[in-house]
Amino acid sequence: MDLSSLSLAKNEIKEELKTADSLAAIENLRVKFLGKNGVLKRLTAELASLSVEDKKQVGLVINEIKQEVETGLALATEQLSTQHKADSLEDFVKTLPGKKPEIGHLHVTTQAIREIVEVFKPLGFTRVRHPEIDWEYYAFEALNIPATHPARDEWETFFIDAPVDPKMSRQVITPHTSNGQIREMLKGDLPIRMLNISRCGRRQSDISHNPTFFQFEGLVVDKGINISHLKGVLNYFAKNFYGPDRQIRLRPYDFRFTEPSFEIDISCGICGGVGCKLCKGGWLELGGAGMVHPNVLIAGGVDPTQYSGFAFGWGVERVYMMKSGTRIDDIRHLLGNDLKFLEQF
Amino acid sequence: MNVLIPHSWLLDYIKTDAKPADIANALSLHAFSCEKIIKSEDGDSLFEIEITPNRGDALSVLGIARELKAVLPRQGFKAEWIEQRALKVSEGTTDKLEVVITDPTLVPRFSAVVLDNIKIAQSPTLTHQRLLKVGTRALNNVIDVTNYMMFDKGQPMHAFDYDKIGGHKMIVRESKAGEEVITLDSVKRVLPAGVIVIEDGDGRLIDLCGIMGAKNSEVDENTKKVLLFVQEYDPQRIRKASMSLGHRTEAALRFEKGIDTAGILPALWEAVEMLQQTAAARVSSPLIDIVNVSKPEKMVAFDYARINYVAGIEIDKKTAEQSLMDLGFVIRDGKVLVPSWRYDDIDIAEDLAEEVIRLYGYYKLPNTLLSTPIPLTSASPSFYWEDRIKDMLKNLGFFEIYTTSMTTKKLAGSDPVEIANPLNEDLTSLKTSLLPQLKEVMDKNQGYSDKIKLFELASTYHKVSGTLPAQPLRLALVTKGLDYLNVKGIVEAIYAEMRITGFSQVEIKDYGKNVYGVELPFEEMVLLAKNTGTYTPVTHFNAIKEDMTFEVKGTEYYADIILKIKSVDSRNEKIEFKDLYKNALTLSFEFLDRNKQITSEDTKTIRENIVGMLAKEFGITLKK
Repeated sequence: MDLSSLSLAKNEIKEELKTADSLAAIENLRVKFLGKNGVLKRLTAELASLSVEDKKQVGLVINEIKQEVETGLALATEQLSTQHKADSLEDFVKTLPGKKPEIGHLHVTTQAIREIVEVFKPLGFTRVRHPEIDWEYYAFEALNIPATHPARDEWETFFIDAPVDPKMSRQVITPHTSNGQIREMLKGDLPIRMLNISRCGRRQSDISHNPTFFQFEGLVVDKGINISHLKGVLNYFAKNFYGPDRQIRLRPYDFRFTEPSFEIDISCGICGGVGCKLCKGGWLELGGAGMVHPNVLIAGGVDPTQYSGFAFGWGVERVYMMKSGTRIDDIRHLLGNDLKFLEQF
Repeated sequence: MNVLIPHSWLLDYIKTDAKPADIANALSLHAFSCEKIIKSEDGDSLFEIEITPNRGDALSVLGIARELKAVLPRQGFKAEWIEQRALKVSEGTTDKLEVVITDPTLVPRFSAVVLDNIKIAQSPTLTHQRLLKVGTRALNNVIDVTNYMMFDKGQPMHAFDYDKIGGHKMIVRESKAGEEVITLDSVKRVLPAGVIVIEDGDGRLIDLCGIMGAKNSEVDENTKKVLLFVQEYDPQRIRKASMSLGHRTEAALRFEKGIDTAGILPALWEAVEMLQQTAAARVSSPLIDIVNVSKPEKMVAFDYARINYVAGIEIDKKTAEQSLMDLGFVIRDGKVLVPSWRYDDIDIAEDLAEEVIRLYGYYKLPNTLLSTPIPLTSASPSFYWEDRIKDMLKNLGFFEIYTTSMTTKKLAGSDPVEIANPLNEDLTSLKTSLLPQLKEVMDKNQGYSDKIKLFELASTYHKVSGTLPAQPLRLALVTKGLDYLNVKGIVEAIYAEMRITGFSQVEIKDYGKNVYGVELPFEEMVLLAKNTGTYTPVTHFNAIKEDMTFEVKGTEYYADIILKIKSVDSRNEKIEFKDLYKNALTLSFEFLDRNKQITSEDTKTIRENIVGMLAKEFGITLKK
């Protein structure tokens, strides 16, 4: 045994200490170097055969190695135990889930309304609210829908048990938000960019209808408004509400209060417009829209030779359910008020 | 309403290279939504098409074919019209019909002819198959012709057994309330007043006009003579009668949308020809054709500028004119003659604009965002506060609930607004308070958790004599597992959030079992709310804080105590309720002098003054 071979051994030990990657491995190294039959015991035993002078020198080196091994092992142990926090109960606590503050849930309808408002706001639309129980006049007659017209069938209307007004006719639960068109125009301020969001009622209840539901009604009245503006605004809505890849298309339709009238379709988000089980040839119906009928402008006190406009009125819940993420399959869940449903939103 | 149109039947009218899928697409883009294509057993394609209420003219094979003639070329397909023969059958003289019409508006046009030598049999296979495809059962060669012509031409017809018409006389009149008639489906129908009916010479009702014939004059296997009947009835009376009787027949649905007056005679003669061929019929009477309401030619100004204004682009004038002509309009001296089948549908320049632009293609118009100045309108502050308070409650752990505006009479509260035609007995009345339904939601979900917090922000409805109900917005809270003061604290926090001070006490309802409810007048609160605070300069002097515990008797009002304490010294910066244990009331005080640093000497004096005042005013003592 000489000093050079010892320093070689010292380096080897150092390298080996670095490889310890678990507490068990550290224990093995401890036994190997410091144990009863360990390397250092063996070296110390060999000291006996050396001269007094060499004994002194080699002994010092062996001591150095011993210290080195001891501090190396302690360091490795500490490093490993900070990585493995589960070693004590105190550390275990830190692995538990945090205690959440109680955060409640806004109803899906509220969330839908907010998203819709946010889309239209930058386009200069102002949110308004008009009576939910209103005169038949505002809900129908002023909208160019006389009492005898078959178009009234489209709206399963609830009537209020109240005296009939000779001018305004009966009281109704508004079956749509279009009464807001007339009431907004009668305020007398032009131009108009209205977003009327209100509760409506219709005599129907099934998988896609609630007797109480919400509609949002857009109305623009200004000089020079044409179909391309209607397309532009609704296209903007579709892309911002459903996603930039979605397209809209207009199909001819008939509503008494608009002329021309359209049914607006949006390209299917599932198949991307190719056609699938959930859509009609790549398209889904969003709702109706059209250019405000001159008779409606007149009923609202607006001169149709000076102004024109467009309008649309769509179901809030329906439009929101068509977002592919919600997966709400039955609109009646929305008024079912089961907290296990509501907590998911 | 939806109609079923077989592809093979359309080919009677139109020659085209368009495949069924192309036809469906062209219809959807330019005219009507073709909802689906159904394959029939014999490989035919049936188009299911949604027809809008203004287009009664399209409720037939002829109507759809006319539309295709205009729209298919816009999608690059050939559409050649197959000219129909003009029929005129020679009239007979042997049979007669006496007609009395009490009111000419009931039946704008009354047309009929008598046929004899009828041999009742089965219809030919083609008639059979076609009727089956559009959803109607074949019965016999006479009745089938009337049904066939309705689906083919959009002209509902009726065939009477001529020999069953008492005195060969018809009186067209309005029903009297309570009159009865047994219709062809063997159902006895009790009529309201104002239904168009026909009475025969024996005083019997033999037709529920425009809706369904009567059993007593029906064609059966023994019929020898037939009165073939093609009419135009007053659409509004038909609609009213059909609705009130709850009997919505294919004929009624067509009559109430208005039929093509000019199409009556051609359809009648074609029906006669079919009966001659299939039932050996011979015309045995003169044509009876009474025109009660004449329809003069209808011209609408051709406003080319208006069309372009509505479209937002310039459509070539020739293209515009060609579109109208393809749809059957005739252009004459800058005006447009409306075809008879669109008589009630086209009135103004916008109507013509729609025709031109839909044929041009809505999908070809550009998308333009509004570029005019944004209107100077400001939103109602209500929306701001609705959002803010909803968010606040959500973050306090509340669930937002929406219930129906209608509810049971029991839950609606006292003297509610009632629905005249409720959907069911659970939805008869409008709520006067949000609480009963919200409490019901709580009960329904009681197993959800030990602690549940619910709110609803919605309108309630209150009768107002002579006008619309008041519909104020209210905010209701219902909680479970919170104690009374927690609920009260939430209410106070809402008022504080809206910076409303000096509000009157609100009633917190105790439903028992640790369930509380409270309803706030949200609409009035919005009027009082402020969304900006007022700055009070911050002082650099320190406050001295201390708690004091008093023994109260329980007959005092807390607010009175606090008010009095405040008036003792202006340096009472803050006094807060800390605790009540038995009759020991602990208050936290903060003493602050805004002009100099307050000392313990100062607070000692203030404290003594407070204790002295409380003893004097209320007999409250400091707890030892």
